[in-house]
Amino acid sequence: MALSLFGGPEARLRKAFAKAARDAPSGPLAEYYAAGLPDFALPLSAVPMTAIDLETDGLEARDSAILEAGLVDLADGRIAVGSAGRIRFRPPAALSPDAVTIHGITDDALEQALPEAEALAQLLQRLVGRVLVAHFAQIEAGFLDAACRRVWGQGFVAPFVCTMQLEQRWFPRPRAADGLRLGKLRSGYGLPHYGAHDGVTDALACAELLLAQIAHRPGGAPRVGDLLRR
Amino acid sequence: MTLGESELREVCGFLERTEPFPSLDRGQLNLACRAVEVAYFRRGSTITAAGDANRHLSIIRAGAVELRLGGTDLHARLGEGDCFGYPSLIRNGTAQNEAIAVEDCLLYRIDAAAFARLRQESDGFRRFFEIDEASRLRRAVSAMREAGAAAAEAQGAFTIHAPVETLLAMREIVTAPPEMPIGTAAELMAREDVSTLPVCEGERIVGIITDKDLRRRVLAVGLDLATPVSSVMTPDPLTVPLSEPLASALLTMTGMHIHHLPVLDAAGRLRGIVSAGDILAQLGSNWLHVVREIEGAGDPQAIARATSQLPRAVGGLVGAGVDADHVARYVSTVAEVAHRRLLALAQAELGPPPARFALVAFGSLARSEVALGSDQDNGFVFAEDFDRERHDGYFAELGRRLSDGLNTAGFRYCPGDIMASNPAYRRTVEEWQAHFSGWIDKPDPQAVLESGIFFDMRGVAGEIALVEAMRERIFEAARRNRIFLSFIARSAAATAVPLGFFRNFLLKEDAVEGKVLDLKAQAIAPIVDLARSHAIAGGIAATGTIDRLAAAAKAGSLDKEAARDLAACFEFVRDVRFRHQAEQVARGDPPSNLLDPGDLSRFDREHLRDAFKLIRAQLDKLRSDFAGGMG
Repeated sequence: MALSLFGGPEARLRKAFAKAARDAPSGPLAEYYAAGLPDFALPLSAVPMTAIDLETDGLEARDSAILEAGLVDLADGRIAVGSAGRIRFRPPAALSPDAVTIHGITDDALEQALPEAEALAQLLQRLVGRVLVAHFAQIEAGFLDAACRRVWGQGFVAPFVCTMQLEQRWFPRPRAADGLRLGKLRSGYGLPHYGAHDGVTDALACAELLLAQIAHRPGGAPRVGDLLRR
Repeated sequence: MTLGESELREVCGFLERTEPFPSLDRGQLNLACRAVEVAYFRRGSTITAAGDANRHLSIIRAGAVELRLGGTDLHARLGEGDCFGYPSLIRNGTAQNEAIAVEDCLLYRIDAAAFARLRQESDGFRRFFEIDEASRLRRAVSAMREAGAAAAEAQGAFTIHAPVETLLAMREIVTAPPEMPIGTAAELMAREDVSTLPVCEGERIVGIITDKDLRRRVLAVGLDLATPVSSVMTPDPLTVPLSEPLASALLTMTGMHIHHLPVLDAAGRLRGIVSAGDILAQLGSNWLHVVREIEGAGDPQAIARATSQLPRAVGGLVGAGVDADHVARYVSTVAEVAHRRLLALAQAELGPPPARFALVAFGSLARSEVALGSDQDNGFVFAEDFDRERHDGYFAELGRRLSDGLNTAGFRYCPGDIMASNPAYRRTVEEWQAHFSGWIDKPDPQAVLESGIFFDMRGVAGEIALVEAMRERIFEAARRNRIFLSFIARSAAATAVPLGFFRNFLLKEDAVEGKVLDLKAQAIAPIVDLARSHAIAGGIAATGTIDRLAAAAKAGSLDKEAARDLAACFEFVRDVRFRHQAEQVARGDPPSNLLDPGDLSRFDREHLRDAFKLIRAQLDKLRSDFAGGMG
């Protein structure tokens, strides 16, 4: 606890969040910050979480676009499949053929997509007061930050849990080069192989991995703060 | 923002290929998917404790779960795609089983409200989660019968499931009153061009007279033609109801060596006569030609040639959807005819038998429950005039020719040497009785285990009354001896019936996983043993398992529901066996009782598990009922 009050990751996050909240222009981003952060000292089961996976048309957050966000909520140690959702972002230009192949997102599907500002506003509303879960969360954090800066001139600060980082932290061991990939880790926990590669499935896959990691973690039930990305 | 079911690909896709969700329509499936919550349980953790309030149907998405009744006895081991937790949801009570993750598990769970709604909206879903194994199994059996009838119809075959009613001639039935003089009756038959004349009092049949009766009972003995037909008719002839399936009627006639059967309606009125010829002409099928070929065979090789077609004929019957009981009766008829023909051929060479005798069949042939690959069990029964010194040489040779001939014809030598070729199984009624008395008076477990099939006996040739006399005396002695009865019951109850399946393995009570299911030893024999135990205890004359169960229920030693459930089990497991054997034959493999659990369809696995459970419960009951001797 002392650590989180004086410069630990939890304190740093609170500080950054408070600053972002002050600087945010009125509108969706300000509303998101207004709800504040959950109490990190609470047990995991008491805090609402959402697993998120972004499909993008490139790897560089600054010059690539978000194509879709897949989401699914966790509550009380369970994943609620009925909460799963998808928000499609309208890309700035027609898709490169590569992105179509990788994500299976076609121009047709994109017709239902929303302009970036609108999609982002909808997404933020969905994430209010929640802890976000992603595998290799830098990507999600980076893309959402870049998108918010593009739209509102201010960055995105949120409590993130990164399942890849948790794996290294909780179960340190030498691994193969691709040993931390989502599919590899899942099969190690006896989780099924998921063939589909879309935002919703990947979010679900990541949420399941988190449940498995928590079940295998030695010691009692962790508090929310123990999970946060450092 | 919310998703359609097509977008929840992994969850919906899994449910779509997992029973019973395929029976849901799109809307219901979507409802099910959206109701799913995903939970993860580490190996060794308790998912539900016995006595817990359970609020979910759990479907195993990955991993394995063990259910232990009250937390102790292994009840089931479940793998991917299996469901648990529904009995307590349906009862709206607490869980009786403890559910333990025996591997790391990912579960899909559907809450009680959604489960209730799906059960309400979908018949298929509700039926799948029927808690009562017995009704589930009965439904499976009737579904198989319907599927069989549909298959036959689809092939354009005149279905042998059709009732005899469909074959009755439209023309008026010719009958005679009992007092009609024989001469008048013969004129009537000639004028109407019928070979069979039912004798009726009003609309009620009291006898039947045939061309053959006129030759043998009238002309050959010079009987006065003014004598009333009632004095030469066969009284109280065998009849069948309008609803009797053609296959049944045909088998009855083949088995009894008669060519006509009177058909009665529900009120007992004569509605017509059905003949074997009519049915055969309609069926246009060749499966009965095996029987006719055997009957016309001039030597054992010709019999073997005829019986070599048996596996294919069985394949045809199974393919046409004929139920297991009829297939077994057909195979038994073929076996029986082969026994008789071999004896006749041997006697033609050896001369007439020097003493009165009967050929007795034991085991499955006695019960008319022969399957493909069954071995032979037989013996000779002699009357008091038998003189071993003078007569046994003849019967030793007769027995040798019989067992050799049967072996050549595919009814393998009995591994226990229970064959008429063995002097131990050529005895007079008294000697047989003494032999049985040994087991009955001083039972030991091993002897009792081996004696079972001897209590299934039936005369198939010669003076069948000798077998009847022996059977009656032996059953009477056995019935009176309570210690013997308790041995028989204990021996029957000792059979280890499996619990069910886990992945591609057979799961046994001691948690061992087997790679092979022995349908005969692990499912069929226990039911046969149960029925036999009741037959011995109740002095039931019937030999067939289904008949014995029905008789035991009638006598009250077995409750009616148990009899009905066991009969359904018996039909189901034998159906699985014949289908399995038909597949083996089609692949060119020798038919057997052994099967790889991995080859079973989900339908068969689920229902076999139900059957195992019902059989185990009845074996337990037998053990406790008969533990201290019956009665």
